[in-house]
Amino acid sequence: MTPRTRKTLEFVLDNLVWFMLIFVLAIFSALIPNYFQPGIFVNIIEASSVLGVMSIGLALVIITGHMDLSVESVAALSAMAVGILFCSAGIGLGITFSPEWLMIPVSLLVACTIGALIGLFNGFLIVKLKMSAFIITLASFIWVRGIVLAVSGGRSAQDLAPAIRWFAIERFLGIPLSAWIAITCFLVFSILIAKTPFGRHLVMIGGNETATFRAGIRVTRNLIIAFMIAGAIAGLAGWLLAVRTSGATANLGVGLLFNAFAAVVIGGVSLKGGVSALPGVYAGVLLLSSINTAINLMGLPANYTQVIHGLLVLAAVLLDTFKQRLRQRLA
Amino acid sequence: MERGPAQLERMIMKRIIPGLLSVLVLGLSMLTTAMAQTKSTVYYLVPTLLDEFQTGSVSALEMFLEQTGYEMKTLNADNKTDVQQSQMNDVIALKPAAIVLAAVDFNALKPSIEAARAAGIPVVEFDRQITSTPSDFTSVAGTIEIGQVAADQAEEMLKTRHGEVKGKILQVLGDPGDPYTLDIQKGFEEKMIAFPDVTIVSVPAMQWEASNAGTIVSDQMLANPDIDLIFLHAAHLSVAAVASLEAAGKKPGEVMMMSSNGAPVGLDLIRKGWLNTEVEQPLYAQAAAIAMFMDKIVEKQEIKPGEYDVLGLKSVVTIEDWGPNIKIPGAVITKENVDDPAFWGNMKPPTAAVESVK
Repeated sequence: MTPRTRKTLEFVLDNLVWFMLIFVLAIFSALIPNYFQPGIFVNIIEASSVLGVMSIGLALVIITGHMDLSVESVAALSAMAVGILFCSAGIGLGITFSPEWLMIPVSLLVACTIGALIGLFNGFLIVKLKMSAFIITLASFIWVRGIVLAVSGGRSAQDLAPAIRWFAIERFLGIPLSAWIAITCFLVFSILIAKTPFGRHLVMIGGNETATFRAGIRVTRNLIIAFMIAGAIAGLAGWLLAVRTSGATANLGVGLLFNAFAAVVIGGVSLKGGVSALPGVYAGVLLLSSINTAINLMGLPANYTQVIHGLLVLAAVLLDTFKQRLRQRLA
Repeated sequence: MERGPAQLERMIMKRIIPGLLSVLVLGLSMLTTAMAQTKSTVYYLVPTLLDEFQTGSVSALEMFLEQTGYEMKTLNADNKTDVQQSQMNDVIALKPAAIVLAAVDFNALKPSIEAARAAGIPVVEFDRQITSTPSDFTSVAGTIEIGQVAADQAEEMLKTRHGEVKGKILQVLGDPGDPYTLDIQKGFEEKMIAFPDVTIVSVPAMQWEASNAGTIVSDQMLANPDIDLIFLHAAHLSVAAVASLEAAGKKPGEVMMMSSNGAPVGLDLIRKGWLNTEVEQPLYAQAAAIAMFMDKIVEKQEIKPGEYDVLGLKSVVTIEDWGPNIKIPGAVITKENVDDPAFWGNMKPPTAAVESVK
């Protein structure tokens, strides 16, 4: 193999998920009526915003070799808190500020603080007390969703304050502002992971925690911060969810966790830790959103949609495994 | 002085864990005391508490059963059939006066119903009809019938818009694994088949999750911009659908909308002009009917077929293969009658107490 061919092959493998996305979009555009139009592509980007932001938080924790199953429930609780405080109908209290734009930072602060506190709680138990991340965050997944149910009484909040809803309605370059928030988050955290000492330390911890500790890096502090950031980002995802649906219901966000895991894995983040690939995760999120949109447009019998969804995700993961094997042969 | 991780762990083991255990023991003792005081307890096995109809059913059943002298306890199955089966087994062991069941799965609970009845515990079906095995009483609006009523409304709306019954309908189902939504779809499509010029596009909102419904509406409005009517199988899905329409620059009334179950959110959307119609499940009447007949159910007396007045609604009891069945008509809610306090979505429970049927 010539060095040039090898370089090209490595470039393709490094960005395989993006090529998969282009391939899938091309196939769907050719085969599904009405799929190929700018509005549908904007919808795919817009529908990816909540899952995308949530996947960033999950990826951060997975990069360190841990996991966080609580992100879905944390997002739901943050969405419900924003809904209760700033919605004017249903169980919403309809709190307003003057000037109205103040509601934006306050609602964001509420959502992210709730998430960060739950992340801190998880991180403390996992890192300080050496408890299993799987069990602790599974417990949080359950009790946090329970709080959503308890505070809402199973009821909904709707009619989010227009000042906050503005992010779902206004567009920049044809794309809703909520989607720009997700894109910005991916850019910021990709730089954070790749270019800052903190990000590099997280990757090192995921690669070998003991060696990182012996190298004098504050593993405990960094891990707790990673859990806190994951929680805060899940809170932001909840805020976006409330903005997108103009309120909150008790089952809001149900099922997002597994899609987030799928996106992270498809995006090339190893579940064993130590491998960071946030741009790939965004491609994974877009890929899942493209599949969902295709299913929505195909008008398939309701009973078969989950089967197709699952098989398409499986195909994407199998392709990713093929990529890993090919990479090992190249090495 | 700084504490090391080991010391911190020891402190937690010594102070926090005993504290937590004390709270647990106290909670258990309170639970035991409460159980000892129970008389004529009826258990309600609710499929989920994640939607407003089910949450409302808990408070309505509790209120009406209390009026007829029963205490109600509720167990939530979180939409899991196996959990509800285990709950049935546990409740049978407690020997309550009766079990009110709103089944997660219409047929999977059949053996549990048979086991309860074999143990002498009457089983009442609420909201979700089970026809594969006899029950002691069934109180339903009829999911297929809700679909049929919705079809009548769709027919009327399309006729008003086009002068004849033609056009395109987007039907947003709930989770495709839930027989409730499939029955509504069945009733709706069975009636709409009479109109060949009507195209129905049906897409499920997985897990009844609102943002999924919002995405479906966004996608479909682009793929099928000629959609005349959106029919959503639950009011809470309408909220996200409206948010998507709003984001797409639509105004209230531009696309006709209809949903079913009559939840408070749906009524609010009617007032705002987004929703044209809600097909209500008569929650209060369905719950009141159970309370009215509970004495007869518990004492295993005959329930006579005929017409009964349930909270002012003419309801018919028939004796079916699966036992006595009361069917209460679902109301159609529009802008004209949306403020009627009889609709459960207005959250004004009836003030007059229900009485047991003699």
